[in-house]
Amino acid sequence: MSGNSLLIPCFVAVPLAGAFLNSLVGRRVRALPEFLGALAAFILVGLSLMALQSVRADSVWVYQVGGWKLPLGISLVLDGLTAFMLVTVNAVAFAIVVYARDYMERYTSKDLFYTLLLLMLAGMNGVLIAGDLFNLFVFLEIAAVASYALVAFGTERHELEAAFKYGVMGSVASLFILLGIALLYGMTSTLNLADMSQSLAGHSEADLLLMVSALFLMGFGLKTALVPFHAWLPDAHPSAPAPISAMLSGVLIKCLGIYALSRIFFNVIGMSPRVLTLLMYWGALSMMAGVILAMGQRDLKRLLAYSTISQVGYVVLGLGLGTPLGFLGVVLHLFNHSIAKALLFLVSGALEYATGTRDLHNMGGLRSRMPVTHTASFVAAMSIAGMPPFGGFWSKLLIIMAAVEAGHLGFAVWAVIVSVLTLALFAGVMKNIFWGEPGLRWQGVREVPGCMQASMLALALFSLLSGTLLVPGIREKFLLQASAALAQGTNYAHMIMSQI
Amino acid sequence: MLEQQIFYVDALARTTGACIVFFAVLTLLYSWKAMPKNGGRLGYNLYLLLSLATALGAVLTGHLVVLLVCWGLTGVFLYLLIGYGTKERTPATAKKAFIIIGGTDAFMMLGVVLIGQITGSFNMAHIHLSLAEPAALLAFLCLLAGVLAKAGVLPFHTWVPDTAEDAPTPVTAFLPAAVDKLLGIYLLARMVLDLFVMTPGMNAVLLALGAVTIAVAGVMMLMQQDFKRLLAFCAISQAGYVLLGIGTGHPLGIAGGLFHMVNHAIYKSCLFFSGGAVEQRVRTTDMERMGGLARPMPVIFTCFLIGALAVSGVPPLNGFVSKWMVYQGIIEAGREGGGLWVLWLAVAMFGSALTLAGMMKTVHAIFLGQPSHDRPADTGPHESTPWPMSFPPLLLASLSILFGIGAYDLPLKYLIFPILEQAPTFPGIWQPTLATVLILIAIGGGMMFYFLYRWSKTLRQTDVFIGGETLDAVPGMRVSGSAFYDSVQELPGFRSFFVLAGRSDPYELAARIVTRLGGPLRDLHNGILSTYLSWCLLGMGVLFAVLLLR
Repeated sequence: MSGNSLLIPCFVAVPLAGAFLNSLVGRRVRALPEFLGALAAFILVGLSLMALQSVRADSVWVYQVGGWKLPLGISLVLDGLTAFMLVTVNAVAFAIVVYARDYMERYTSKDLFYTLLLLMLAGMNGVLIAGDLFNLFVFLEIAAVASYALVAFGTERHELEAAFKYGVMGSVASLFILLGIALLYGMTSTLNLADMSQSLAGHSEADLLLMVSALFLMGFGLKTALVPFHAWLPDAHPSAPAPISAMLSGVLIKCLGIYALSRIFFNVIGMSPRVLTLLMYWGALSMMAGVILAMGQRDLKRLLAYSTISQVGYVVLGLGLGTPLGFLGVVLHLFNHSIAKALLFLVSGALEYATGTRDLHNMGGLRSRMPVTHTASFVAAMSIAGMPPFGGFWSKLLIIMAAVEAGHLGFAVWAVIVSVLTLALFAGVMKNIFWGEPGLRWQGVREVPGCMQASMLALALFSLLSGTLLVPGIREKFLLQASAALAQGTNYAHMIMSQI
Repeated sequence: MLEQQIFYVDALARTTGACIVFFAVLTLLYSWKAMPKNGGRLGYNLYLLLSLATALGAVLTGHLVVLLVCWGLTGVFLYLLIGYGTKERTPATAKKAFIIIGGTDAFMMLGVVLIGQITGSFNMAHIHLSLAEPAALLAFLCLLAGVLAKAGVLPFHTWVPDTAEDAPTPVTAFLPAAVDKLLGIYLLARMVLDLFVMTPGMNAVLLALGAVTIAVAGVMMLMQQDFKRLLAFCAISQAGYVLLGIGTGHPLGIAGGLFHMVNHAIYKSCLFFSGGAVEQRVRTTDMERMGGLARPMPVIFTCFLIGALAVSGVPPLNGFVSKWMVYQGIIEAGREGGGLWVLWLAVAMFGSALTLAGMMKTVHAIFLGQPSHDRPADTGPHESTPWPMSFPPLLLASLSILFGIGAYDLPLKYLIFPILEQAPTFPGIWQPTLATVLILIAIGGGMMFYFLYRWSKTLRQTDVFIGGETLDAVPGMRVSGSAFYDSVQELPGFRSFFVLAGRSDPYELAARIVTRLGGPLRDLHNGILSTYLSWCLLGMGVLFAVLLLR
């Protein structure tokens, strides 16, 4: 066990410590919750960059809790995909914590807010580093329960209703996941991912494995909000405070849904062609349904939530292609969408902060009143819509390229059509909010405070420049390591076992 | 090494690039006085320069992905530049233009990916695809969609008239009228000459698109009340000629098409620039409210008239030469077989007549006829156009004349023929210099007779009157000329044509489809938890069925 693997438990320990400190003394000391939140997120960003630095494509870091040897003890694992996700999650979280400093002025009990936020962050980081199914499930539940509470944070009528729906449907998902885990445990007598994978390799009960696959697909599909399991998301994501919406849409569904799904299916169970095909069609369905549903929305945050369903569909389509190029596109699209969608939710928060409304038909002409918000939202909208040279263009290019390369021309055309609709959607959003002459009602509107501006501008910069991640020399470190982890398939187990 | 991969500068790129830089400089000069002083001048100039840079990048690169990026960026800057318009509908227009341009860009992305997949390279120098393969055909069509939207050809033309109406005039003169057309035709020429091996069938598609564009846009042009909208339809119709020329597949036709592209940029910018000067003076673009501006604005009138004659293809101006070459190209290509060339030729000539008719209406309504009485602001009897606004149209009008008279010695020799592998030979007889002399003699003779006749005093002159009253006595009684062809709408076949033309906007069509799909889908989301849970159950069932049934 080297120094680097000592890093791994910190990803859970730091936010957990922050959360506990907050709940103990946060109420007594003014401005302590903000400070603790920012500090924890800052440390996490530093840690995840260190993790990214130390990880290699051909090896993984394993931390064995309490020194108990695998497969007996609990293990925490850090590989390329985990490092990539850690950087994305914690960077977005840091931007959100900075943003929340000014935004949350309108709410009471800020200590609870930061406690829950840090708990959710701990859960997400835990899912990413978990080396066994049970811990993965526990951390998933920690993040999910914290997010149920955060959706209800405003405690208005519709927020509570949304949180209730979210809670019920999230629990249904968790139940199915738990059932799947139980069945797998019964089959393999182990919960450790690597051990389980090796044990499954010699297994002959194909039908039971397909049953488990269906359970997992449903559970994680619900967490990812794929059509038709998506119905909770357009209620839950808009109801949370804006920074939390950004967190939920930007990173939470990707950790709990996409990451867990692809880790289990690609690295443990092993992908079958049938599941891959299913994922492609499923992604295609979500892409189209999400964007068409988003078209008619008046509430900006609800529109963004539907667009999330559509964009995650791209990711699932890319996963279903199952080629290295597709994985590269998936990884980059995850990153781009995390940044851009988080930014758009922050923009919606800034607009609500400044104007008090989220109704698209009521706004208009805010470009001259809120130039920074306008710039940020322009960049994010262009990125999601896939206009060159913004980040989203490159990831869509890669996914379409991968689809063509794999011979799925129909899916490529489909992805292009959805991309056109997304562009139309966001051109409409920009027009309704920012273009034209400001009405009399918005004459007194002023730009949001400094912290919110800084956070939005930073994310906009990432969104604008994320295409440079593809430059040779940079892509090996960040993107290729992550996509290689997906592409290696069940070789994952071998890599972990050889590490001990 | 990297240079070889990214840059690909041949005669076609040089010609297009030179034109783009030329128009950018003129537009910057023109915008100096044409744009209002306050409100984001820095951003406006920055976006202009950036769209120049990206347009140049798109033209000079040999790497298809770089082309895609630069091409897409010009669309983004067009969107931002339209935003400087102050009309009420400007936001909606910017959105529409951006969606059409950006949407076709997405299809271009697919085209580029397909090319990369088939050939294994994104380098233009290595690509020479046969259209026999279905994937290559799809790639061609995808790229063609981008080309048609950029160049404003049917069916992706609908953003051009709206943009002309609602964007600032210099932006219209620079992007849709000049640079976007140049870019679109550049890529089309690149595709036809280098990237693909054309088949007769695909040439016929281009020809048909060109012919339909000429005819439809020509008829639509006649009906317009707003002169910028009219010019935009004229621009669409002219792009049809370029398509027709390139679609012939004959060197002469291609050279004619490319020459027409350069010429069109020259006179259409000239028309928009002089129109912008008029607009600044009378503060309207409605032709009904203009009239009689030739006297107070002689310079602008001359420029506009030359531009109008050039676009109508009146010899010896440049528009005539390129149209002549396109006609010759069609005839030459027709020799090799197929009877359709007669149709293309007839449509092209008919379109030319339409253009002339439309331009005469415009010239009459704006500059001749009686001045309108409800003109909002008239700044005085003398021309008060500042020189940065009158110099660009003057220069362009002189270029129109120069490129017409000296067609063989200047533009064709240096700009157009180097693009083709071998200079085409001219079967027809057209000697511009001789023709000019003859035309001048004819005009001189006519004028001599006119003045002799006037001088002899046998001609009776009287004021214009209607129903026995002179027009000055009845201010409302006035013929502006903007309604010259309104009766065309009443003709038997044309009524349905206009209804169809109004409905067939692909943008509106797509919007309607999406709304129709979205409505029922949205209604399903009733917010009731048990409904949502039953969907989950349903999805679960499908998952089990897909995975477990064999």
